[in-house]
Amino acid sequence: MSIFIDQSTRVLIQGITGKEGSFWTRHMKDLGTNVVAGVTPGREGQVVEEVRVFHTVARAVREIPAEAAMLFVPPRFTKDAVFESLNSGIRKIVTIADGIPLRDALEIRAAALSCGAKVIGGNTSGVISPGKAMMGFFPFWIDRVYKPGRIGVMTRSGSLTNEVTAMIVEAGFGVTTLIGVGGDPVPGTRFAEMLPDYQADPETDAVVIIGELGGSMEEEVAEAIASGVFRKPLVAFLGGRTAPKGKRMGHAGAIVSGGTGAVEDKIKALEAVGARVAPRPRLVGPLLVQALAEANNRK
Amino acid sequence: MKLFEYQAKDVFRRYGLQVPQGKVAKSPDEAVAAAEKLGYPCALKAQVLMGGRGKAGLVKLARNGQQARDYARDIFASSVTKVGSVLVEEGVAFEKELYLSITADPVSAQGLVIACAEGGVDIEVLAAERPEALVKLEFDVTQGLMDYQIRNLMYDMGLEGEVAKQTSALLGNLHRIFRDYDAELVEINPVFITNDGVVVAGDGKLSIDDNAAFRQKEFPLIRDYFSSDMEFESAQKGIPYLQFDGDISLMCAGAGLTTTVYDLVNYEGGKVANYLEFGGPNYTRALEAMELCLRNPSKVILIVTFGTIARADVMAQGIVDAIQKLKPNRPIVTCIRGTNEEAAVEILRSAGLTPIFDTEEAVRAAVALASKGPTP
Repeated sequence: MSIFIDQSTRVLIQGITGKEGSFWTRHMKDLGTNVVAGVTPGREGQVVEEVRVFHTVARAVREIPAEAAMLFVPPRFTKDAVFESLNSGIRKIVTIADGIPLRDALEIRAAALSCGAKVIGGNTSGVISPGKAMMGFFPFWIDRVYKPGRIGVMTRSGSLTNEVTAMIVEAGFGVTTLIGVGGDPVPGTRFAEMLPDYQADPETDAVVIIGELGGSMEEEVAEAIASGVFRKPLVAFLGGRTAPKGKRMGHAGAIVSGGTGAVEDKIKALEAVGARVAPRPRLVGPLLVQALAEANNRK
Repeated sequence: MKLFEYQAKDVFRRYGLQVPQGKVAKSPDEAVAAAEKLGYPCALKAQVLMGGRGKAGLVKLARNGQQARDYARDIFASSVTKVGSVLVEEGVAFEKELYLSITADPVSAQGLVIACAEGGVDIEVLAAERPEALVKLEFDVTQGLMDYQIRNLMYDMGLEGEVAKQTSALLGNLHRIFRDYDAELVEINPVFITNDGVVVAGDGKLSIDDNAAFRQKEFPLIRDYFSSDMEFESAQKGIPYLQFDGDISLMCAGAGLTTTVYDLVNYEGGKVANYLEFGGPNYTRALEAMELCLRNPSKVILIVTFGTIARADVMAQGIVDAIQKLKPNRPIVTCIRGTNEEAAVEILRSAGLTPIFDTEEAVRAAVALASKGPTP
């Protein structure tokens, strides 16, 4: 099993004829992603990377059923594209757009919540189940990062994800599914909302979250552990421990209030419920080993 | 982007809010002239973006010309922060203060009104110590804040009669500003209720979503928003940059990774001269990034990347080109990983650099160089 996507997930690509869209469609297919249709207004009838292109999502799904949409659409058109897919019945959407207006992000998340959809992003590299499928732009051929295995990863970051995941792999592990919830102040989906899926997945032994200063997503993870929603071992790495107050460091999402946003408070919340927090990326691997050994002893 | 109080109040006025009469002064003399014209008492308020202005001595009430002169001189000469302008406002005799703000709640994805019948307080302290004193109201951003919701809020705050009527109108207008300006936050603390029962915006905060800049063009970037020339210039270039006073220039890619390298430098006992991030769409801009770093009196430049779309070979070539063009007078430590890493290593080696592949090792190397290196 995987979380969110595997080889059987029927993926539609919005913005498939663009430079990024066609380039990453090829790589998604190379990894094994089941890309079934593409959409670019005005381009119906074209074929990109052996994928049929339609004018609109509605016209595409009339002929070819799809359950997930991958958006290669600029930030200012992202809201429209998300609603287009939602209104065609698609309930899994990934948007990589960096720069979605806050107002649009609120409307996207509110709509997704109201119809039980999951929108991942924006400002993310997407979702990848290494060795199986991806929606996004991961250099999955870097095998010291994107190695299949039994650890779930969730992240607010891009480059830092490579840094930390490389340490997970160096410690002898691999990844079931990596979900980039993204660095925006109002991501479509929050860490804690994906935890039930990781809990239910028999192929995931533990989860690593890569967070940072700002917002309250890490505290919500602590609540999910406290309430018993998530019961597997969890290790966190959080950037911005030494960030001075009042400076805009990290992603845009790091500056919006909600809790104090200070890393120290997040560490306290996570450690209070038994999660481990690695002070350096290098220590994520050893802490995973510890946490898994402890969980096995309890059994 | 956070606006200055005087800019927020200009917007407030246009939306029908009552705002004290005032004038922006650029020097102590201008401030005194404005005070003489407005009469006493009058408030002198430094136009800076930091919070806690009152505690920092940056807001003063002058009762006469001598006080206006003294306060204006002190505020412009503040050691806390650079003060470029002071808002001089007529004094308001009030019998009550309120707190009102509108922001977004990222969890519920709703608009969020926060109100309190006690204004002029530190709202974060109040939220921690007496959360029951705050009244919160969520609203659907597509639907907007509705009249019945405002009525509920007035009763919850214990407001009645003419004051409730005026405060309702103010909140309705504040919501229009929140919507029209793509605001992250619009806040008035305090709202004054004057001795003759008029509801007046005593302060004004308006923060506009940077991602909506393409449709919010009223307030261009100006130097006054930034605490250094370098931060202003990099903002204009669209390169995230923060100025510090250490000796290691960070030139990294990715907000999360750069923040982590900043932490690691501190753990190793080093001090950061500047935080610069040239990842994402900026990954081809090594030359501009290095130029900015070199304008710092730092002793070493530390480059750490682990790119995805940002190709390692392209970044390496950019760095080598930048070195040839700029001839940096200080050592450069590189730790470049990611897509096309092998090609990147070749490029760096052929330019005489010794690439490092482990972030912590690179940080230690930079800290060691900074501790013994001469100041350029």
